[in-house]
Amino acid sequence: MRNVPTVAANTFREAVRDRVLYNLVFFALMMIGAAILVGQISIGIERDVIISLGLTAISVVGIFIAIFLGVALVSKEMDKRTLYALLAKPVKRWEFLLGKFVGLVMTLTVNTAAMAAGVYIALWSVNRAWQPSDIYILTAMYLILLKLALIVALALLFSCFTTPFLAILFTAGVYVAGLFASDLRTVHGVEVDPGALRLVRGISYLLPNFENFNVMGAVVHGRSVPFALVWQATLYGLLYTTIVLTGAAIVFSRRNLK
Amino acid sequence: MNRRAINGAVFGALLLAGFVCVWQLQERVDAERAMLQLESEELTLHSPAVMKRLSLEYAPLLGAIYWTRAVQYFGGKHQEHNSNLGQLWPLLDIATTLDPNLIVAYHFGATFLSDAPPRGAGQPDKAAALLERGIQANPDHWRFYQDLGNVYYFDKKDYLKASQAFETGSRLPGTPVFMKIMAAKIAAEGESLETSYALWLDLYQSSTNKEVRKNAEDHLRMVKMQMDLRALNQIADNYERQTKRRAESINVLADAGLLSGQAIDPQGFPYVLGQLGRAEPNPKSPLRAEWMKEKK
Repeated sequence: MRNVPTVAANTFREAVRDRVLYNLVFFALMMIGAAILVGQISIGIERDVIISLGLTAISVVGIFIAIFLGVALVSKEMDKRTLYALLAKPVKRWEFLLGKFVGLVMTLTVNTAAMAAGVYIALWSVNRAWQPSDIYILTAMYLILLKLALIVALALLFSCFTTPFLAILFTAGVYVAGLFASDLRTVHGVEVDPGALRLVRGISYLLPNFENFNVMGAVVHGRSVPFALVWQATLYGLLYTTIVLTGAAIVFSRRNLK
Repeated sequence: MNRRAINGAVFGALLLAGFVCVWQLQERVDAERAMLQLESEELTLHSPAVMKRLSLEYAPLLGAIYWTRAVQYFGGKHQEHNSNLGQLWPLLDIATTLDPNLIVAYHFGATFLSDAPPRGAGQPDKAAALLERGIQANPDHWRFYQDLGNVYYFDKKDYLKASQAFETGSRLPGTPVFMKIMAAKIAAEGESLETSYALWLDLYQSSTNKEVRKNAEDHLRMVKMQMDLRALNQIADNYERQTKRRAESINVLADAGLLSGQAIDPQGFPYVLGQLGRAEPNPKSPLRAEWMKEKK
């Protein structure tokens, strides 16, 4: 377990060296542009747009980083042959995997925190005052971070047994399917076979339900998020991420690296 | 000049020429596309439900984008003096389906829809439907009941429903007494100038939007003028009863001591008495055209 922080710190350092955090410059420019533009071309939604655009950007940029970097975490080390040198040392495979996961989540946390600061600066520039409901934005960002951690875990899992290209496709596919998990539960139709319906419902519970982490609609309009929802989503995220990481560790430890 | 500088100058000139060509070409493309205006106005996706599905978890942002599109569409048509606002309802429908809590879209959208052309789309039924949907999604927002009451009162002339809307809204916590008063007033009087004045005045005082305030101000001027004309006609009728002849001008009424001050409209133009001795706006007053239109 003591090797995990070392691998995590190196993963974070590598991401910084790879200029991953450069996206923050683009984000800052976009927020400033949006804050100025929306005030000119729309009516009464300056604050809503800054929050929804900010949260959307945090989510979308985060998803891209989580999928692409998450898949590259293992595959890049294998391509560069650095993985073999690392595993020759007293580092267990699961420690390596967990360290990589923690390192990327750290990168995403820094990224999200910096973007959060950008959103708050844009809000201040528009309103010149804080509203009590502005604090709820942090709840939305926290849940986005949980979602991103789960996506990183999925990307790691897929990259452990398939090619990077397919791992990206699988991760993105599971993410999109996970957004519709609740809809699968409510599927109904005259012609649908009851057995198939049960199967679809079963699959809907197996898929990671990414809607659990989505509170953007409430936060944009200054509504608080119930505490019960936050801790339930937290528990769900942690549990699902642990399951996926465990699966990834099992697959990776059995993988023939020769 | 060395070879490198010459190459740089040639490259710069070519770059500039290239951009000029691009600009010229864009002008032509714009002209060509203008002929396709009808097609480009159409929405690619008409189903708000499909839009909601496609938006994944980013529906609030898309809702705001669609609301901005609705504002731009409405503003653009206004500038062109084009009262064909066929796409306004679909845009508002999609915006409010994507984000059912987008308060501004219901509030202003209903105004855009309900106002008669050329101010709006002249679709009070759609405006009422939009507000009903807004009430369902935001049951604590009392302003929607006021907006709904205004649509029934001004545009649909359904005073019973207008009174009901104000009354239902007045029962919500935090609603000002004004709502209860309006409910009672409309139930008792139906349409009256005093009621109209009170409704427009509240809209003027409560709105922060420039366009809405301007619209309310215009209506307040018109209603005030109608109230003045009604008062002047009453004075002229009294004068006729007392003297057995109709006054030919406002000055006659003033000389008889029946007017306490100068009878001028909200734009500062003195009222006049028409051929039949009825009060009317001054022919030079900018309000006269609007008054003539309403009279017809």
